[in-house]
Amino acid sequence: MTSLDSLFYPKSVALIGASASEEKLGGIVLKNILGLKGRVYPVNPAYPELMGLKAYPSIRDLPETVDLSIVMRPAAEVPEILRQHAGKARFALIVSAGFAEIGASVLQEELAQIGRNTGVRLVGPNCLGIYNPYHGLDTMFLPHSCLKKPGKGNVAIVSQSGAVVVSLLEAVRRSNIGVSKVCNYGNAVDLDAPDVYEYLAEDPETGVVISYLESVGNGRRFIEAARLLGDVKPLVVLKAGKGTSGQKAAFSHTGRLAGSYEVFRSILRQFRVREAPDYDSLLDAAKALSCQRPAPGKRVCIITNGGGAGVLAADECMRAGLEVAQLPEPVREMLRSTFPPFYVLGNPIDLTGQVRTGDYRVALDGVRQTYDGFIIIALTGVAGVTLELAEIMRDFRTAAGKPVVAHIAQGGIAGKLTTLLEKSKIPVFPSPERAVRALGMLLHDGG
Amino acid sequence: MTIRDKVEKFLQLQVDRKVFREHEVKNLLRGFGINSPRGMFVPRGAGIPSTFNLSYPLVAKLVSSGISSKSDVGGVQLGIGNGDDLQRAVTELSRMENAEGVLVEEMAQPGFEVIVGGTSDFTFGPIVMFGMGGFFVELFRDVSFALAPLTRDHALWLVGETKGEKVLKGFRGKPPMDIDAIADIIVTVSEIMATGLIRAIDLNPVALYPSGALVLDAKMTRP
Repeated sequence: MTSLDSLFYPKSVALIGASASEEKLGGIVLKNILGLKGRVYPVNPAYPELMGLKAYPSIRDLPETVDLSIVMRPAAEVPEILRQHAGKARFALIVSAGFAEIGASVLQEELAQIGRNTGVRLVGPNCLGIYNPYHGLDTMFLPHSCLKKPGKGNVAIVSQSGAVVVSLLEAVRRSNIGVSKVCNYGNAVDLDAPDVYEYLAEDPETGVVISYLESVGNGRRFIEAARLLGDVKPLVVLKAGKGTSGQKAAFSHTGRLAGSYEVFRSILRQFRVREAPDYDSLLDAAKALSCQRPAPGKRVCIITNGGGAGVLAADECMRAGLEVAQLPEPVREMLRSTFPPFYVLGNPIDLTGQVRTGDYRVALDGVRQTYDGFIIIALTGVAGVTLELAEIMRDFRTAAGKPVVAHIAQGGIAGKLTTLLEKSKIPVFPSPERAVRALGMLLHDGG
Repeated sequence: MTIRDKVEKFLQLQVDRKVFREHEVKNLLRGFGINSPRGMFVPRGAGIPSTFNLSYPLVAKLVSSGISSKSDVGGVQLGIGNGDDLQRAVTELSRMENAEGVLVEEMAQPGFEVIVGGTSDFTFGPIVMFGMGGFFVELFRDVSFALAPLTRDHALWLVGETKGEKVLKGFRGKPPMDIDAIADIIVTVSEIMATGLIRAIDLNPVALYPSGALVLDAKMTRP
């Protein structure tokens, strides 16, 4: 089998259906792949030249066998085009829609057959394809003027849906994190999530993988690849289509109870694959796991300057299976002798609206040994919270070497503080609950 | 013999059936060390043997591969205390539509009811299920699934995935139930499913006790 290196790091790329116009998809993609660290061959019989590159009438006319060919022609033309790929391309990425997703399964099966006969590996159809900022590879028909993609980072995105990839790309960039590889494989006529998982397990640029799935072809193969990937680096899965119930007319109780999502969810848990229950959680998990390494344990300490936010965080810890263990008596005594009498010395530790930034340092140093993970809440609407908090938390994280996440409320210095914290790899979340769930992803293995 | 050998042999003896009869399934399970109440099968038209080695009280259950829920059609009679009542019960049940016979069993002590099942999932193939029985399963769907076959550790994990595990471990002064016994049953069912020879198994309910477990009802089908 061809290594997916040819797909993610192609030395040469052909674009079937390249166009001169940036208004057309074939022009957008051509412009986007001009940044490739490799050779680009536009294919279009109507032009001698496109965007300054020599154009070719067909893939057969190319001077070499390309690693990757991007096919952007109407569905009906694709089988014939693919046949011409025999011996001329290692991977064919079929962007075109109009296959199984609209019921044209026969046409799609024809592609599968051609792939098997020619030995060309297929991606798609009905997909955006690949984005690899480490290689200047961008097969997605999204003009850079409309969607600014995230830069280099350690998060890989593997998604069945193109729409979800587009919104994740935007959200990931806004979360100040970068990506290593992005793959939208669409109808999965050949290349499927497990192939990509196997590749990413070995990919040195990838530190964490988030994956959006609607269906998994072969469940056994999927779970095996997910498990092997999860052994090496965190994988977080979001499964859409949770509503399907069990077989209604099943003879047995088991059959009636075995809804496809319930089974999927149980089996993910059986093999300790992280599951994000929803879109926000997937994104938050990516952010947390891209900044910090997972760690064992589940004892959490919450330090806040607002009582309500602390209680919300504690409530969510309970739901997330994290333990908000009481402060040890010696720690409480130490803090009692330092802090004003109206600070609430439990867990959460409530430094109240009269907090001074340095109090966070005292509290954090006091609890460092006792807990496995930390949630820092700072409501910046009060005068006592300053940007020094970023430095305090950075020092603490370095010293503790354990997961630390933050919820910074809106207002005042919140924006600046968030930027400073995220530069120091302390992820900041817009609500106490989301901060807790993200910490839960970091403490996943402590269970 | 391996589990596969035993299941294959069982299927060879049952070539004409897709849905197996309760007493046959229970006999198969006994061969794997899974207990059920002592009983005897009385085929339709045959009389009750003049002597039999069962102790009252007894239960009598309709055996019919065409009916998936015996109790819904009045096919179960409980608390049979003497020979006359037994004769009456067997006669009544034998007259029911599609009756193939009657399974007479010793009535089990009340236990904590759980379900162990197996089915072949469209995506994952053979899977195994554990859940709380009785109204828990109807009302709360307190069940969990795993890939088959599974290890003993994963069987214990599967039990722990249900909310009912707290009750099994001894709740409010009640004695803890024999979780090891249920783990054994789960592992065996998972291994039967993993042969790929069986479409579905339903042990519902299994009565769980502080020591041991009894399969009270059992269904099994082949593809």
